[in-house]
Amino acid sequence: MKKIEAIIQPFKLDEVKEALKGIGIDGMTITEVRGHGRQKGHKEIYRGQEYNVDLLPKVKIEMVIPSGRYEEVLKTLAAAARSGKIGDGKIFVYDVAEAVRIRNDDRGEAAL
Amino acid sequence: MLTSSPGGNGTVSHDTFLATGDALIALAERTLAVDAVVSRAAAEILLPAVPSGAAVLAVGGYGRRQLFPYSDIDLLLLFQSERLAVEQKETVAAFLQRLWDAGLRISQSVRTPGECAELHEHNAELNVSLLDQRFLTGDRALYAALAEKLPRFVQANRESLVRNLARLARERHAKYGNTLYHLEPNVKETPGGLRDYQLVCWLSQLREAPAGRIEAADTAPELAQAFRHLARLRCFLHCLAGRDSNLLSFEAQDAIAEQWDAGDTARWMREYYRHARAIYRGAVRDLDRAEAASSSLLVQFRDWRSRLGNADISVHRERAHLRAPQRLEMEPELVLLLFEFTARHGVRLSLEAEQQVAARLPRLRGQFGEIGGLWRALEAIWSLPYAPLAVRSMHETGVLTGLFPELAHMECLVVRDFYHRYTVDEHTLVAIQNLWEIGGPFRDLRSEVTRPALLLFALLFHDSGKGASSGPGGHVAGSVKLAQAAAERIRMPAQDREIVLFLIRKHLELSAVMQSRDVFDPQTVDELARQLETVERLKLLTLVTYADISAVNPAAMSPWRAEQLWQVYMMVYNALTRELETDRIPARAPLEAGRPEQVGFLEGFPTRYLRTHTESEIAGHMALEAQSRARGAAVEIRRLEAAWQMTLVARDRPGLFAGAAGTLAGFGMNIVKAEAFANRRGVVLDTFMFEDPMRTLDLNPTELERLRTLAERVIAGRSDVRELLRHRPRPALPSRKARIPARVSFNSAASGTATLIEIVTEDRPGLLYDLASAISANGANIEVVLIDTEAHKAIDVFYVTAEGKKLDEPRRQRLDEALRKVCGAGG
Repeated sequence: MKKIEAIIQPFKLDEVKEALKGIGIDGMTITEVRGHGRQKGHKEIYRGQEYNVDLLPKVKIEMVIPSGRYEEVLKTLAAAARSGKIGDGKIFVYDVAEAVRIRNDDRGEAAL
Repeated sequence: MLTSSPGGNGTVSHDTFLATGDALIALAERTLAVDAVVSRAAAEILLPAVPSGAAVLAVGGYGRRQLFPYSDIDLLLLFQSERLAVEQKETVAAFLQRLWDAGLRISQSVRTPGECAELHEHNAELNVSLLDQRFLTGDRALYAALAEKLPRFVQANRESLVRNLARLARERHAKYGNTLYHLEPNVKETPGGLRDYQLVCWLSQLREAPAGRIEAADTAPELAQAFRHLARLRCFLHCLAGRDSNLLSFEAQDAIAEQWDAGDTARWMREYYRHARAIYRGAVRDLDRAEAASSSLLVQFRDWRSRLGNADISVHRERAHLRAPQRLEMEPELVLLLFEFTARHGVRLSLEAEQQVAARLPRLRGQFGEIGGLWRALEAIWSLPYAPLAVRSMHETGVLTGLFPELAHMECLVVRDFYHRYTVDEHTLVAIQNLWEIGGPFRDLRSEVTRPALLLFALLFHDSGKGASSGPGGHVAGSVKLAQAAAERIRMPAQDREIVLFLIRKHLELSAVMQSRDVFDPQTVDELARQLETVERLKLLTLVTYADISAVNPAAMSPWRAEQLWQVYMMVYNALTRELETDRIPARAPLEAGRPEQVGFLEGFPTRYLRTHTESEIAGHMALEAQSRARGAAVEIRRLEAAWQMTLVARDRPGLFAGAAGTLAGFGMNIVKAEAFANRRGVVLDTFMFEDPMRTLDLNPTELERLRTLAERVIAGRSDVRELLRHRPRPALPSRKARIPARVSFNSAASGTATLIEIVTEDRPGLLYDLASAISANGANIEVVLIDTEAHKAIDVFYVTAEGKKLDEPRRQRLDEALRKVCGAGG
């Protein structure tokens, strides 16, 4: 099993969800986050006052998928999240040792 | 369809309920069955070991004989002494185990009579549960001792018990957002649920309990009926889930509609809300009464509030009463006065006043149409500090739908949506409330809104199209249609109507942009700026969006989302103000519009001018320009709703804007907004919105003409404004410790041809004149001005040039120093 963690642009969330749904991936956790990588923040001046927009709004998607599908999921996710500009985000992949469905004690991929 | 239970003593009422559909029979039957099981187990295990000094009592819902099919069984094991209870620990364990084996979910407590008659500040539930205690089996003498003690204890601690009970209830209400209109309510815990019905009973018991005994209280028939309805629902939910589940989920709502053939879900959910509302109102009324009675500070405050009364309305116990309700027959305006009172003072209507209004509602509905100037009356109410409370009262009494039948179908309407928590009407009321309680940087925006009633009207109708027949454009198109009909009926002026319909039409726009567009993309920002056209509209729409999102559910407006909305606002604001200077009307625009006569006048004005002025206003400005050709300048002054407006047209010359501002300051006028633009031919059009704090123009009509003539003379260079100001006392410059620290910033990158100066400082009379004079005195020419005032803060944006170019560095420094001096910000 693999855990996929993707930091994407907020406005790409619906597109990414739809694309993943299209390949049968429904389960995911979404978090509203702030951050920046190479896309540094910038300054906005509003009525003479400077506002530092150094941490930009992003969305974090987390999901655990069967190992056999992770290439396909990565490709789909990246394609849907891509706008071609700086700030499109990153995807990280981790190995997962175990998964348990708390309701009935299912283990491993059966619990996904 | 539901089927019979798998069996067992714990579920005996499951089958009874399904067979009879009567919850009260089912509750009583389960109570009897459980009584038998508990008594048998006690006779076999507990009482042989402890023949005297122990008794078993039913408490809580079980004590009231209201055992729902899968409710827990609340037992009190009463022991003579703590020592005896400790000695019999194993016997008690065996007794309880027998009950669990019989399929009962037991919640037990072991106490002595002394402990039962103690106040438990941190376990108020224990004291409350004893109000419903009932002897089951065991030592009768021991129980008699408790039965004698309890009423005396209640009598002596009535105030504390009420306080604890009220605290628990208020905490529970707050947990559910203090509203009963949840899309998936919990029939036990949500405000207006069974717990609130019980609260009414307990408060009545505590209030009326005679010294010697505690008796179950009778409730009003309306409440008793509501209890039967909710009890039936709860029984159904237990049977459906096969456990103690009280959530009226969407699935459960559908199952009930199918099982009871109750027609469409929306209709019977309205029935649920009607009953829950009866219970909630009773509970809140009794809570208010109980809390007021137990707080001397509140009593003093209440007495003070009673002085707010007037010739039509009296205040008694924090509630507004009509002095002569019979006058409602002849004077429908009295209803509006009642709500104005609520909106002004934050005093809720009394139950009597609500009933008096509700009783006359059918007649009032016909009369509302006859009230002249209805929009003006509503605007007066909706501009007051407690307007949201007044709107809620209007809604609860049915007056709101009496005034606006267009809103009737959204009442108690459930629209299933994963994110929405409330019914459509409650969402609307919460949105209005949120607008008044708005925080963060949005609070400043809200304080700049001079006519909040327009926002309130827009919010009231923004979702009115939900539940109406869906057509092209979804609910938004439906909402616009309904709002338009209502606005026309109450004779809302066309300009106001245009604003509210715009807000309703676009109320999802900013949310959609935040969700599906890159808000940092300049194209997104420009596109929004093009749609919204003016800063005023942007402000209003931002506020509507904030209120709407935050009323979806309590967590919907997360700090993350609020920040996103603020960024969108800031960027579009900047795009709109920058556009003032860069985006000019080309000559072809009037030609394309078929108005060649306008070319000379309009060419070179900011495009904003076309968007913010109607054809008749443009015609008026052109007429002024014609006059100015003969006289050198032409000035028009007219009265607006809450302020005055001076419009002037003249050939541009240095110091012109400062002269006009100085003339108004010389007359003691307070400028709140101003705009100044020049066209390609060097003709300037300046507009000043000003207040007349001393009411000089109202009280001395001849002064109006004197001001107009003088302004014309000053602008044409025939009078010296300095002379005029010499005769007026010079206002003190703000101190360095002013509440609003002054900021002066220069930006040469914002415009291709001019330097932008943005000044934020504490407002004072004559400020604009001083700033404009400082700019002129330093050889700079004012190209565009946008002046705004929010409360005591002045926000002034000037686009200036010197000799046709942006300011060079030495001049920028000189001007910076001069402007800081004017603002009192130092060098």
